[in-house]
Amino acid sequence: MLKAHNIHKSYKMGPSELRVLRGVGLSAERGEFLVIMGSSGSGKSTLLHILGALDTPDQGSVEFGGRRLFDMPTSLREQFRNREVGFVFQFYHLLPELTVLENVLLPALVKHSFFSWFKNRSDTRRAAAKMLDRVGLLQRVKHRPAELSGGERQRVAIARALINSPSLLLADEPTGNLDASMGADILNLLTELNKDGQTVVMVTHDPVVAKRAHRVVSLHDGEIVEPEMVSSGLLPA
Amino acid sequence: MYKWFLAWRYLHTKLIAFFGVAAVSLCVAMVLVVLSVMGGFLDSVRTRSKGLFGDIVMANATLQGFPMYQEFTDYLLKELPDTVALSTPAINSYGVFRVPATTQTVPTRIMGICLDDYARVTEFGEGLHYERYYPGTTSLEKQQIPVAGHTASGKLELPKELEEANRQWRAAETNPKAIETFDELPYVTVAYPLTDGYSSERMFAEGLGEPGYRNKALPGAILGCDLVFYRNADGRFSRHLARGATVAVTLMPLSTTGNVGGEPPVKLLMRYSDDSHTGIFEVDSLQMYVDFQTLQHKLAMDPQERMDGTMTRARTNQLLIKLKEGVGLNEGKAAIQAAWMEFLVLNAGVLDAYDIRLLGSVRVSTWEDLQRDFIAAVEKEKVLVTSLFGLISMVAVVLVGCIFYMIVEKKTRDIGIVKALGGSARGVAALFVAYAGAVGIVGAILGVFLGCLFVWNVNDIQDLLAQLNPQLRIWSPDVYSFDKIPEVVKQADAVWVGVMAIVASMVGSLVPAILAARVWPVKALRYE
Ligand SMILES: Nc1ncnc2c1ncn2[C@@H]1O[C@H](COP(=O)(O)OP(=O)(O)OP(=O)(O)O)[C@@H](O)[C@H]1O
Ligand SMILES: [Mg+2]
Repeated sequence: MLKAHNIHKSYKMGPSELRVLRGVGLSAERGEFLVIMGSSGSGKSTLLHILGALDTPDQGSVEFGGRRLFDMPTSLREQFRNREVGFVFQFYHLLPELTVLENVLLPALVKHSFFSWFKNRSDTRRAAAKMLDRVGLLQRVKHRPAELSGGERQRVAIARALINSPSLLLADEPTGNLDASMGADILNLLTELNKDGQTVVMVTHDPVVAKRAHRVVSLHDGEIVEPEMVSSGLLPA
Repeated sequence: MYKWFLAWRYLHTKLIAFFGVAAVSLCVAMVLVVLSVMGGFLDSVRTRSKGLFGDIVMANATLQGFPMYQEFTDYLLKELPDTVALSTPAINSYGVFRVPATTQTVPTRIMGICLDDYARVTEFGEGLHYERYYPGTTSLEKQQIPVAGHTASGKLELPKELEEANRQWRAAETNPKAIETFDELPYVTVAYPLTDGYSSERMFAEGLGEPGYRNKALPGAILGCDLVFYRNADGRFSRHLARGATVAVTLMPLSTTGNVGGEPPVKLLMRYSDDSHTGIFEVDSLQMYVDFQTLQHKLAMDPQERMDGTMTRARTNQLLIKLKEGVGLNEGKAAIQAAWMEFLVLNAGVLDAYDIRLLGSVRVSTWEDLQRDFIAAVEKEKVLVTSLFGLISMVAVVLVGCIFYMIVEKKTRDIGIVKALGGSARGVAALFVAYAGAVGIVGAILGVFLGCLFVWNVNDIQDLLAQLNPQLRIWSPDVYSFDKIPEVVKQADAVWVGVMAIVASMVGSLVPAILAARVWPVKALRYE
């Protein structure tokens, strides 16, 4: 479903160049739970952003469902980001002015034009309620993010990522800012979602977290190192 | 959809937006006030000029006037029956106005009119005070002082003609407020010396015995209202003459050549019959009206015997013409001009050299022509002042720009989030422009409201200020010709200013909106 090929990305640091990704190749299958590991600063976030078309590589290509992301016009790439991918970030990144429900609805608001929003409003609201129920926050819809704990915020962010039913969920250290038990909650939630068929690509540098994955790849010196560790072998046939 | 939603949400959750709203609304109010006051001023100039002159004025810019006016009036009515409705002569002269009972003397413009026709050609009749409450009793004929007295039954009443006229007015008046206002007017005064009718705040003098008419009959005069009233520091007017008071004017008759003729000075004693309110300060503070024939005679503008035994012709200074309903101003003017040329040619044989000189300089003008310079000046002033205030309002644009710049700076992360969720650069820019538009709309509505409130009460506000300190009386009637600041806001002006404000705030948000569109989501999202 997702194929990255020979991705290069470097940042200019004054006269010198910081080559973060040097020919990364990677693929994820439908229904897979893939974890990308690597030490801090190894370029995991950079890679994830490129996979989600948030950033552009200097070289290389990303294919999604047979289409090359970086050959698409910008508007299609924006649509891809809106409908095909859901992002979950380490720092939740909720909008503080909006309530929990409104935050969850935001990608749907982005998706719809003014008129189609009013046409689809009740369906979308129902979907949002279902998502919030799923993450266990149906009682908190009217609250603002500031009134929630970190774990709750991250669950709102997950609900938001899933509101448009994307085929791919990209999570960048979703537990990085949480204590162990909250982190475990989030991981359980992601695992459950994956069991229901959601493709998940997650970045972490925590080997414990990585244990939940079907497959783990490592980023080292800007290149993907062969799978060094395969989990319980639950890879779908 | 998210643009509208977020714009709306930011509008009422971000306090900073209210600074933008306040700036926009103040600018809107300011421009609207200026536009309305200047526009109202301009409109007053227009309507009042028309009310003052009627449609067409023929004059030759001399004090000695021109002859043959009666003949031309007849000629017009015969030749242009479909164009001309009515024509009436008026004499303009200058004199010194005096109230013998006091020491008041002022220079005055004295106008000789045929009251009935003059009131039909112009809107003169509408501004008369006594005529309003006692219809049919104002006249320029010889008259005595009407005096209130006690009837047999002991009631204080005016002579029965006046009481009857007032009853008629009460019966016909449809506005109960007007009757209330009248009933509050000071009515009569007790036992002021009847010889002069000098009074304070009262409309009529009161005598001992029965109501009736007293003292010598003198020609009537209608006075500009500011000759009769005087303005208190708090802006109220008080009357200092009662009807019938003796007033005097000293005149300066001129011969056909413009020399002071006769045995100057000529004195004319009159009775104050009514006062006229045109709303134009120069007129109301200077002008008085007397009977055309009386003034013509006093000024020796009626036929006079020459040394050789021939007679001069009667002269007037102005011929005021009212056009028939539906006749265009310039069309009427052209027809009258043509008729005038024909008339001069037809009568060339009977005119003497003096007549021809006076007639040759007669101009036919519309009321617009007469006021053109003034109207054009006011128009320019309106444009100038409005542009100046519009320029000052650019401050609001800059302010909106600053406020939005701050918002974009603070919201960089959120912009990144929206973009990560699929929001386009253009959509994010549109979000901020829509946000600014919303600020503009709220500001414009508030500003229009504020501006209207201010304009509608501008005279009260000024009176209030003047009560605190007379120096704060900004509107000076002698400078602006009108005794009140215009109080009308035109819908079109309000809409126009409001729309401009909305556009201006959107323009102000453009630079920040572009900055927002350029936010690179990855950078914005990397850190908390
Ligand atoms: N905009 C940028 N300009 C310059 N250098 C950058 C930029 N973004 C990232 N880098 C650098 O690129 C490298 C990779 O960053 P990245 O955030 O992808 O690492 P990471 O593996 O996600 O690290 P962490 O585990 O700490 O999140 C880092 O050394 C970082 O300093
Ligand atoms: Mg990272």
